[in-house]
Amino acid sequence: MTRFFKYLIRISSFLGKELTEIFRQPKLILTLVLGPFLIMLLFGVAYPDQGRTLKTTFVATDPVSFQKEMDAFAQSYNSIIFDYSIAGDKEKALVNLALNQTDLVIVVPDVSFESIENNQQAEFLVYHNEVDPFQVGYIQSIARIYVDEVNRQVLKSATAQGQIDSGALQNDLKTAIIKTQTLRQSIPAGDVKTAAQAADLEKDLTGLDQKLTTFRSLTPGVLVSPFTAKVFGLFGDPFTVTIFFVPAVLALLLQHVSITFASLSIVRESHSGIMELFKVAPITAFEALVGKYLSYLFFEIILAGIITALAVWVLKIPILGNLLDYALAVFALLFTSLGVGFLISLISETDTQAVQYSMLLLLASIFFSGFFMDLRLMREPVTVLAWSLPATYGIRMLQDIMLRGSPVPVFVFLGIMAIGIMLFLVDWVLLRKRMESQYS
Amino acid sequence: MKNNDFAGNVVETQDLTKTFGEDVAVQSLNMQVPRGTIFGFVGPSGCGKTTTVRLLTGFYKPTSGSLSVLGKNPTSFLKSDREKIGYLIQQFVLYPQLTVWENLNFAASFYGVGVFRRRHLNKLLDFVELAGDKHKLARDLSGGMKRRLSLAATLVHKPELLFLDEPTAGIDPILRRKFWDYFKELQAEGHSLFITTQYVGEAAFCDLVGVMYGGRLLMIETPDGLRRKAYGGDLIGIRTNEELRHEHRQQLENLPFVRGKVKIVSDQEIEVIVEDASTAVSLLLEWCQTQQLTVAMLEKKSPSFDDVFIRLIEMEIKND
Repeated sequence: MTRFFKYLIRISSFLGKELTEIFRQPKLILTLVLGPFLIMLLFGVAYPDQGRTLKTTFVATDPVSFQKEMDAFAQSYNSIIFDYSIAGDKEKALVNLALNQTDLVIVVPDVSFESIENNQQAEFLVYHNEVDPFQVGYIQSIARIYVDEVNRQVLKSATAQGQIDSGALQNDLKTAIIKTQTLRQSIPAGDVKTAAQAADLEKDLTGLDQKLTTFRSLTPGVLVSPFTAKVFGLFGDPFTVTIFFVPAVLALLLQHVSITFASLSIVRESHSGIMELFKVAPITAFEALVGKYLSYLFFEIILAGIITALAVWVLKIPILGNLLDYALAVFALLFTSLGVGFLISLISETDTQAVQYSMLLLLASIFFSGFFMDLRLMREPVTVLAWSLPATYGIRMLQDIMLRGSPVPVFVFLGIMAIGIMLFLVDWVLLRKRMESQYS
Repeated sequence: MKNNDFAGNVVETQDLTKTFGEDVAVQSLNMQVPRGTIFGFVGPSGCGKTTTVRLLTGFYKPTSGSLSVLGKNPTSFLKSDREKIGYLIQQFVLYPQLTVWENLNFAASFYGVGVFRRRHLNKLLDFVELAGDKHKLARDLSGGMKRRLSLAATLVHKPELLFLDEPTAGIDPILRRKFWDYFKELQAEGHSLFITTQYVGEAAFCDLVGVMYGGRLLMIETPDGLRRKAYGGDLIGIRTNEELRHEHRQQLENLPFVRGKVKIVSDQEIEVIVEDASTAVSLLLEWCQTQQLTVAMLEKKSPSFDDVFIRLIEMEIKND
């Protein structure tokens, strides 16, 4: 038998062994297939594509008239305040807020035109019971939008009133124009100067009348907010939160599964004593490692395929890009994640230590891979840590391919493959060391 | 079995020493193991048996001294050299999640055995009497079955030389006996076996026995040779119908082929150590006739190896 053939047989020993061990655990496979799918499904169900409904208590000195005002403007406020009540007692409302019976307390100022006419701003006091900076930010923007809307409503009603009031003014103006015309006709023919002055006056009054007509013809909403904004993405309509997060969830899960499998693989063998047999047998560290890589890659590619198929067909998650690019990105992510896992396995003394390292890596990936915090918000030096995690590359590649329809980003792909190859070499050296001199 | 391309001793060591820091695990080991023998390496737990095996398999590098296994230094073994060696580790190291067959198949693959191996593996399972259990998970096997599976995995690549580290440890006496039957069969097929054991009684099954104590090899002998060394000759038991008196014993001790003191077993039975049992038996019968003693029993006795071993160790301690 040729040496090459024997080499292939030795590699195949681990391929067969690892796969048999995995397939011997149907519950594990079921968890690995259904787990990620159910997580994605639950994620989609759990987070509706709209902001949080804030249960709001308005405190007004005259609740009855404020209720009328709210009813009148309900249409406008509906997009901001969904669930509100009106109270007259501020202290009681704050106690309820402290007891989490309401999310927000807005103390409505006692507005009088006098105070505005006196060049004074009226202040809405907004109270919340949040410690989460993201929620505080959300409440601050809601408060800002609410006050902007109140200001807009005030201006709108003032403008509408102005348009009504300007009706009488325009009537007076029309009378004045007629009177000016009558006056101009009564000017003697030789009095050119007076006639010209009367014509100018008539022209001014007519112009003013036209402007008033225009003012009255415009809707108060346009007058108060003449500009609006429309946002267009280069890739069509924006995705829902669920769709946006699915590529990232997929990348994170595939990384975690790979790392967990690989991290337990060698550490267990070191403890079982079989390393002693490997050392004496004709198998090399390279053959063992290649066999392990191949077996886990084979299994995880199938796993990724099933999860992707479920995501696409059941959850209707799009893959706008090329499937080959997608497969390439998944392969690179799995290959590099396995490298990380084997490294953990080779530096860990016990199973527990390996699991702890894997969990730490998962935590680091959640915070630093751009999973939920944009990498552009990160301070520059920390991005080095971010780009040392396979998940960072995985998320970027899968988002680009699935959501933008782009080809696999070349530099990102080369980056993750470079890390993967480097890890393979490091793992090889460490495994060789372990197999050769475990007790020497 | 692999073709023998090395005809000399399968194992040779000279002043082989292994230390771990200050601890000397194996000290100046000198031995030769001829091809085709069952070499028993006997000694109490912790005496350096496993360390020696690890040195011989190339798992450890020696601190000093030289060694040759199949004509080569194990630390510089090539893959082709390793294919000629089978190594049974003390504990069960195969995979509990795999079946008997899968474990055997795995072992065959990592030794590079060709893909058309089904018949050979089945034969091995027959040999270790696990053919009916080949679909059982290893974790569900009894201790003895696990040892048999390990043995089959050791034989999967038809090695020329087998290192079996305490293959019978922790298994019942019947199975232990069966294991030695396997070893005899393997020897008959041409394998050389280097077997460590702490059951000194198993020395009887070996062609040569090395006695280890405190990291030192006290001696290498045949099982009979060991007994002779322990007692200073052969042991013969004599029982007569008449009472054996003090003067009888004194006379016996003065005979030229009798060594040392006569041991009294009962009023009518004694044990004597003689230079060579084959010549001494007839001389002792003659002596009984001259003393007008009726011989009820006169035979060469084989003391248990436990006694032999204890005697040897006691002698060693005394010498020290």
